[in-house]
Amino acid sequence: MEITKIDYKNVLYPPGGILVWIIIFLELITFGAVLIAMVFSVNQEPEIFHKSRLLLNLTYGTINTVFLLTSGFFMAITVHELKLNNKQRAQGYLLLTMFFGLLFLALKSVEYYAKLSAGLDMGYNTFFTFYWMLTLFHVIHVIVGLVILTSVYLGIKKENPRTKMEDVEASAAFWHMCDLIWLLLFPVIYLIF
Amino acid sequence: MVTPLSRNLFDILIMNKQNVITWILLLLLTVIAGLVSSAHISYVIPLILLLAVLKFIGVAFNFMELRKANVFWGVLIIGFLVVFCGLVLLIKT
Repeated sequence: MEITKIDYKNVLYPPGGILVWIIIFLELITFGAVLIAMVFSVNQEPEIFHKSRLLLNLTYGTINTVFLLTSGFFMAITVHELKLNNKQRAQGYLLLTMFFGLLFLALKSVEYYAKLSAGLDMGYNTFFTFYWMLTLFHVIHVIVGLVILTSVYLGIKKENPRTKMEDVEASAAFWHMCDLIWLLLFPVIYLIF
Repeated sequence: MVTPLSRNLFDILIMNKQNVITWILLLLLTVIAGLVSSAHISYVIPLILLLAVLKFIGVAFNFMELRKANVFWGVLIIGFLVVFCGLVLLIKT
């Protein structure tokens, strides 16, 4: 595997590369703006938002946070092991990263099923419009992240991998971005109203 | 008795001490946020946001290795958090 020494202190070369960091900031600003709009809407219908928030399952939300953080932890270890050229170990940790990502999606599906069964769909009220819009958009990012990680896994599994360390770091940064977005969504949607 | 699995876990702990500590702290902060949200105390919203900010910084600076990057990127992330949390608090309170 090709590992080139990068000077991260250079402003143009943050870990993962400048392009993925531009994407990360654009995503954070987009999600942040919608969350601010959601908080703004609370002032119009505080009672509805409070009652709707109580209809969410805090335990699911907390467990999903644990799944994503654990997945992010294994991703960080994967990158660390690859830098040490421990390809075999890195593959194992990358599988664990994806496994916890899949657990997140599985629990999210259970949560969505319960909400839809109770009739709490996107048109139920303003709170649930924001809930579905924000969490579904986040879920799409997690699915895209899993596809990217699968391609990284297949890339580094080869005898003579052409996958570069920068590619792995960029993929890791994208995956961690899903954590960052969730860390904004979780308190605002599940906790503060 | 040292099994291959326990040996492997031991290696993770030693070789990735900083990531392990960050991970444990992140999990603790998550549990605390859950408990704080259901407690009837004043300043719940600022407290929950503070816990979220700490987790965000833990992921960005340790897992994403922003601590190794140029200070510009760290300032941008902190700046985003200040603006986001400031607006939430301003609108909500």
